[in-house]
Amino acid sequence: MFKYIFKRIMQAIPMLVIISIICFGLIQLAPYDAVDAMTTPNMTEKTVELIKARYGLDQPAYMQYFYWIKGILSGEWGYSIVTHESISKDLSVRIPNTIILVLPAYFIALVLSVILGLIAGARKGKLADKIIDGLSSFGIAIPSFWMAMVLIFIFGYQLNLFPILGMHTIGDEGSFSDLFSHLVLPTIVLTLSFMPELVRYVRSSTIGQLSEDYVMVQQAYGAPSIGILFNHVLRNVLLPVITIVGMSLPMLVTGAVVTETVFGWPGIGTYFVKAIQGFDYPIIMAIMLLSSSLVIIGNLLSDILYSIVDPRIKGMGE
Amino acid sequence: MGRKNVNILIVLLVSFFLLLAGCSSKPQENADSNKSDGAKTPDTFIYGIDGDPGNAVNVISTGDRYGLMEIKTIYSPLYMYNGKDNVEYFLAESITPSEDFLTYTAKLRKDVKWHDGEPFTADDVVFTYEQMLKEENGGWARSQLIFNNQPVKVEKVDDYTVKFTLPEVSMGAFEALGNIFIMPKHVYEGETNIANSPKNATPVGTGPYKFKEYKAGESVTFEANQDYFLGAPKIAKVVYRIIMDANTATMALQKGEINAFAIQPSDAAKFKDSKNVSLKPYDEGRVGYLAFNLSSKAVQSKEVRQAIAYSLNRDEINTASYVSSDYYVNAYSILPEKATYYTDNVEKFKTDTKKSKELLASAGASDLKLKLGFTANNPIQQKQAAVIQQNLQAAGITVELVGMDGTALSQKMQSVHTDFDMYLGGYIMGIDPDTFNSLFVTDSTANYMHYSNPKVDELFNQGRVEKDDSKREAIYEEIQQIIIEDAAFYPLVTNKRILAIDSRIKGIEDAGLVPVYTFEDMSQLSY
Repeated sequence: MFKYIFKRIMQAIPMLVIISIICFGLIQLAPYDAVDAMTTPNMTEKTVELIKARYGLDQPAYMQYFYWIKGILSGEWGYSIVTHESISKDLSVRIPNTIILVLPAYFIALVLSVILGLIAGARKGKLADKIIDGLSSFGIAIPSFWMAMVLIFIFGYQLNLFPILGMHTIGDEGSFSDLFSHLVLPTIVLTLSFMPELVRYVRSSTIGQLSEDYVMVQQAYGAPSIGILFNHVLRNVLLPVITIVGMSLPMLVTGAVVTETVFGWPGIGTYFVKAIQGFDYPIIMAIMLLSSSLVIIGNLLSDILYSIVDPRIKGMGE
Repeated sequence: MGRKNVNILIVLLVSFFLLLAGCSSKPQENADSNKSDGAKTPDTFIYGIDGDPGNAVNVISTGDRYGLMEIKTIYSPLYMYNGKDNVEYFLAESITPSEDFLTYTAKLRKDVKWHDGEPFTADDVVFTYEQMLKEENGGWARSQLIFNNQPVKVEKVDDYTVKFTLPEVSMGAFEALGNIFIMPKHVYEGETNIANSPKNATPVGTGPYKFKEYKAGESVTFEANQDYFLGAPKIAKVVYRIIMDANTATMALQKGEINAFAIQPSDAAKFKDSKNVSLKPYDEGRVGYLAFNLSSKAVQSKEVRQAIAYSLNRDEINTASYVSSDYYVNAYSILPEKATYYTDNVEKFKTDTKKSKELLASAGASDLKLKLGFTANNPIQQKQAAVIQQNLQAAGITVELVGMDGTALSQKMQSVHTDFDMYLGGYIMGIDPDTFNSLFVTDSTANYMHYSNPKVDELFNQGRVEKDDSKREAIYEEIQQIIIEDAAFYPLVTNKRILAIDSRIKGIEDAGLVPVYTFEDMSQLSY
């Protein structure tokens, strides 16, 4: 098993390198020059040259790449060219903000969809299934910004139950209950947008499991169907869910872009959108690299976890 | 065993909903208590903005709207020039031109202190203008301090008198010398790179409010400067709150989470009958336009451009984008109505599809296909572009809409390119017509149309040094007529900015609504 884990880690490293080259290359291919964002038209050639030299933009591309990677490995992510703020500092403020929002939402979505998926799967074709499955279709079809606006209008404005803007009330920054009340609406939106696909997934694998022999055996012994569902089927359904959980790791960074923008949540999403608008290329590169690395790391983690839970897996790779 | 699992799940679920329910009651109490506090004496003014002004501002290189709003809150200029008879003095008590109009002498206030307690003197003024003139600093106002390739000379006469010496007479100088915010010499002295200085994160000014805190992506907070030379501000705290989504902002404003926001005309109806929020549309002197990219071959013929102008319908375009005439007036000249020597005695290109077709035929341009560049996420420009497309369709011209990101569009405009033949834009310039020369003079910095007419160049040069008022007026009227006749620039609209503001806020008249900064003097606002 350790051999398998070691092999998977070794495979992930060249992937990360390739990802970083792609991120860097894409920005180099962008239709405008990074230096344009820092200069104004009335600067002379000499001034522009000086600015280029200061940021190392006069060096050939491969040298710039090495400087960049060297910086990232040593925790120095560079500076925004629009606000001149340190990117690692900005990220260290914003990543926790996003995690506060995404993690609980994802957890709730996971728990609810396992329950709903199991029920729908077990009662395939019956009313409960039709309702759950129908709602999932509905959920997939609804854009999350629209859902956010509807919730803001009803619960934030008309019923006036929750605040609608940002993370804190101005002047009430330290209060936990204040933070919590700001969390409710965006969390609901995120939960509802994460859920439908998970429900679908659990439902279809439940249906698959229910036609397996062991279920028939249990039924033959006269075990109650709820018992079968939660004692036997659940375990087998949860196995592939590990894969999904691992693969959703990058969501911690970019999973809430739309929701954050609508609610004015000061997380990575709004930061990323702003950077793209202002062509703040060091930030774009950093976030692209971060989220694509998380995809690889997430895959790696889920593979490893899976191989621990189900030892048959490691045999398959060899 | 099975039962147990189900029970655990049910318990989990129930506790989760209880938790949610429990939490929902708390914020309600909070909101109520906030409200009752608010009804007594709110001490905070929260202004929603749809951009991030950033942590680092300085008076030299900060040039975007929200950065400048932050600057205006913290710093003061010598004076603000809002028109010939409308000069608002701040750090200067007066500024007087000499008889030959070559020197301007500014008398400074003696009672001004920087936010860190240091006294303000003429040294600060001289230092600021020198930094603005240094090319490597990339100062936004540098070009307006250069007269015929010669910089203005700034000298200290005594601690409270500064003399500006022009290299040659320029009638726009009075305006050009104003509107520049003064920076503290004792803070920035010896700084080689002002644009990226770490000192920008903790600005020290002389303005009505002191910088308190910047929260990335969230807000900028200011607190009242009790020593403000025009009197302590009445509201203790001002917050610029960053909200990227206009719908959320509109709702937050209706609800009272923020106290002011500049809304889109299409949202104005929501506030028509509102008791809590009142609308203050005000003129920013902005001219919105359709301009031609003259590096593109298809539109290099004047006849083709005039044909396009004849097929456009200004009223239709403006009603579609600005909803009601409360929020716009049709524009005909390159100058906004507030500018000195504005005239609407120019060719208005009244919609005439027949004439348009004739012109196209005589120019030999049949089956014309044009590309129109505009900012894709700007709701106003989306509508303008759609109506323009319709208008031109009627004249037999096919328009392809090229929507792009604002940054990409402005990068394109700054270089010679042929990606699109016309584009939508707008500018807020000064009051004196001379400040508009950079848009139209051959090879000038902001001449994105790549327009070149030697007659216009010559007239702009004459107008700048002409001392006689009526002669000057004639020169600028001719300029307006020639540029419009050339049809490279089709003015669409002078639109208003609609500030939706909490009805409890008083003193908006005294604070003064001005272009870009919103308030001329925020210290006058009160609840």
